[in-house]
Amino acid sequence: MAEKLRRYEKIDFLGEGQFATVYKAKDTETDKIVAVKKIKVGSRAEARDGINRTALREIKLLQELKHENIIGLLDVFGHKSNVSLVFDFMDTDLEVIIKDNNIVLTPANIKAYMVQTLQGLDYLHFNWILHRDLKPNNLLVNEEGVLKIGDFGLAKFFGSPNRINTHHVVTRWYRAPELLYGARLYGTGIDMWAVGCILAELLLRVPFLPGESDLDQLTRIFQTLGTPTEETWPGMTDLTDFIQFKPFPGTPLKHIFTAAGDDLLDLIASLLNINPLQRCTCDQALQMPYFSNKPAPTPGPRLPLPTTVKRQPEEKPSLKRKLLESMDGASLAKRLQF
Amino acid sequence: MEEQACPRCKTTKYRNPSLKLMVNVCGHTLCESCVDLLFLKGSGACPECQIPLRRTNFRVQMFEDAMVEKEVDIRKRILRDFNKKEEDFDTLREYNDYIEDIETIIYNLANNIDVMETNRKIEQYKKDNREQIMKNKSKLGRKEYELEELLELERQQDEERKQELIRQELENKKKKIREKEALIDELMFSEGNAKNIVETFASAIQASREEEKYTPVTKATQFSTGIKFGKQTNQGFLPIPKAEEGPSYSYTPIRQQIEGPSPPGWRELQTRGYVSHVRAETQSDRAGGFRANIACLRALQEAMASLYHNPSQRSLEPMSI
Repeated sequence: MAEKLRRYEKIDFLGEGQFATVYKAKDTETDKIVAVKKIKVGSRAEARDGINRTALREIKLLQELKHENIIGLLDVFGHKSNVSLVFDFMDTDLEVIIKDNNIVLTPANIKAYMVQTLQGLDYLHFNWILHRDLKPNNLLVNEEGVLKIGDFGLAKFFGSPNRINTHHVVTRWYRAPELLYGARLYGTGIDMWAVGCILAELLLRVPFLPGESDLDQLTRIFQTLGTPTEETWPGMTDLTDFIQFKPFPGTPLKHIFTAAGDDLLDLIASLLNINPLQRCTCDQALQMPYFSNKPAPTPGPRLPLPTTVKRQPEEKPSLKRKLLESMDGASLAKRLQF
Repeated sequence: MEEQACPRCKTTKYRNPSLKLMVNVCGHTLCESCVDLLFLKGSGACPECQIPLRRTNFRVQMFEDAMVEKEVDIRKRILRDFNKKEEDFDTLREYNDYIEDIETIIYNLANNIDVMETNRKIEQYKKDNREQIMKNKSKLGRKEYELEELLELERQQDEERKQELIRQELENKKKKIREKEALIDELMFSEGNAKNIVETFASAIQASREEEKYTPVTKATQFSTGIKFGKQTNQGFLPIPKAEEGPSYSYTPIRQQIEGPSPPGWRELQTRGYVSHVRAETQSDRAGGFRANIACLRALQEAMASLYHNPSQRSLEPMSI
């Protein structure tokens, strides 16, 4: 394990989350740039339980997944009580791209991002995995314009009726109404809802439903899409946290997304269907006319990148001298002057 | 030089070095503390001419002669409305008359000659030329804005050049060190004559230095005059990137590699009755988006996926992790 530690040369500090710190590093064996996620050792109580739960989820699931649009877990190594995960290095994410005022997102760009997101998600769902934390921040993009779904800290197998899941998943703004109503058994619909919110955000360039509390989130959903009834969403009154809202008529999507064509509006309506059983699945979504219609999705290398991400040639200082020094035990006379 | 003094409290610059004389539109001065005292309520009358004044209009006196101050003030106000340019007139004569008019008005107001009459004239002019005044005002605003932009641009370029210079310097320093290292390495490991080596290196360095001299010293020519005037045209809108057609998208379903018969799909669950062996979903399960079908299909897939799995037949894929 010690040699693995040495295999990755730290280049830069990238960021720090609740559970981990992420570094940019170079794999000295392959010369590839990677991201090393060093899991923080939690409190003493947590440490006794062993490795952090989110890290365990990531390792367990990502080890078996291999797809162009899923972040690749390249390596895992431990050092003392630390665990580090080695991922593909990604330059930026959709949140940065959406917030960057200097980037113009054309319909073709948006389609390209959606195709890649849905393809990755389709693969996940096909393998019975729910991501449960889809948001622009977790859709990573590299400089070749390839989008990969990242952060599997909340991902979980689904489909077992005996397993009760928690509904406290997904960042609130992207949380589906059934989760807000406390559903304990759910399906792929929760990820699809999040994709719908992300699509809306790509179009509007601001978060679509930025709720300030769980209740406010539901209010916003119903205000924009209309309050559901027992007919439009059968069984909703049986959900544990159900609250009756006053009936809002909802706003036609056409008035919110004024620049969107009919095929795109169909997709949005299908992704943001209040009833999870009527929400489309990934394969259904990808077969909708929007994706095969013109304009064609932008090819990866032509997708816009924030100005902070630039191809810069690595500067290589002469290592020769250093190597020589370590070889000869630094006994060389250094004062050779002419 | 006459001592500056406040006409009200008679304080002089000599007695109070921090004395600040303020002036308002009427042109009469007051010291700062008197202003504070008299205009406690925000407005009041000038102690000399009894004209109602607002406190916010008091400014620090810039010219020693209060009359000049007053005139500057009036001029500013008048020129805000009398803002026609030479190109607005047909002949030079007309323009000159116009300027003459302005000067008369300002002189009259500054020296209290025919104030009523002059004010009426100004009002009349304002009424007659309202549209043009507005137009010229906005033009002026735009001009200022453009100027500011140019300044900003210049500053930016300046900054860039500075950075470039620093970078170059660093580069040069590094290069020198590298050259030295190379020379030392060469001397250490090569079998040749030390003197020869040193000479070849020296000449190589000399050559590269000369080469450097010929490389142009950054594009400084663009700076002082090379301002891009055309830049303001599509201002406020980012250029829309050119749409480049890629291949159209078409969906290809995911295939799973299974040795042996493939498990049943969604449709067969119902028709073949598999689903009746799984606990039926409740109403609230359905509302949450969960169906017995999901559990049933997954169970079937999992059961069948490994049925024909034979590790010995497969070329073992070493899992690196």
